Amino acid sequence: MKENEHGFFRHGDNAYLANFSEAEREVLTNLVEQIIELLAERVDHHNDDPLAAMVGITMHDTPPDDEVLLRLLPNAYADQVDASEFRRYTESTLRQKKQAHAMAMRMHLMSAVDGIVEVDHDGANAWLGAMNDVRLALGVRLKVEQNSHEDLELLAPDDPMRGVYAVYSWLGWLQESLISALMDDSE
Amino acid sequence: MVKVKDKIEEELQAIFTNDAPWITIVWDDPVNLMTYVTYVLMELFGYNKEKAHELMMKVHTEGKAVVSTGSREEMEHDVARLHEYGLWATLQRGDQAI
Repeated sequence: MKENEHGFFRHGDNAYLANFSEAEREVLTNLVEQIIELLAERVDHHNDDPLAAMVGITMHDTPPDDEVLLRLLPNAYADQVDASEFRRYTESTLRQKKQAHAMAMRMHLMSAVDGIVEVDHDGANAWLGAMNDVRLALGVRLKVEQNSHEDLELLAPDDPMRGVYAVYSWLGWLQESLISALMDDSE
Repeated sequence: MVKVKDKIEEELQAIFTNDAPWITIVWDDPVNLMTYVTYVLMELFGYNKEKAHELMMKVHTEGKAVVSTGSREEMEHDVARLHEYGLWATLQRGDQAI
């Protein structure tokens, strides 16, 4: 995973480049595709009103059961009644926006020439959002709330979570490289 | 039923004191990178690097920070945008205990 040594770097006025190996692109594509799938509309509730669906109102107002989805689509209010009302009117749009970030990232990965991904400012923001969603999802699986980085560094070589943690850390590093390239602009 | 009664009183109070601002709070999260939180606050709110960094540090050290203030509609919009970028945010009345 260390083939890309520089992460993202700035190129000209509004371009950010990163050179990925084929293996890296495969890992990233696979992860964003999982996010796209995860964010697809819930199938546990039928939306009987096509007009409501069209304007993004969903019939469900309860928080997702899945821990990962709940972190990606959190409650906006501490109060449950307000949280439900807000979710009913906004969750569908939030899913679509997050999916759009992940889809943009997948598109950039697929259209890479010689492994080089090029994004503009908006593309960079989509990447940051999508990479962050992947990290949030992996973070729930790694239980980063309870486990310190030291605990995770010490995972046994045969522990399947060790590989997950390696990807999680690598994504953090990649995200950091893109942020520092973007921050240079805003000085 | 107490809850409903409380809510009605809350709404009535809001009607009579409709200038009471609402606030958006960002909560600490072990996944989001410090630089990422700073960057998102700069992008979404147009804060300069110093202000965004200061708010991020408050989230990091105190567990939470108020990142914007305004009408309920404005705060709902802010929370939705923060959720889009994966920050853990909630809104509430400004005069309520956080």
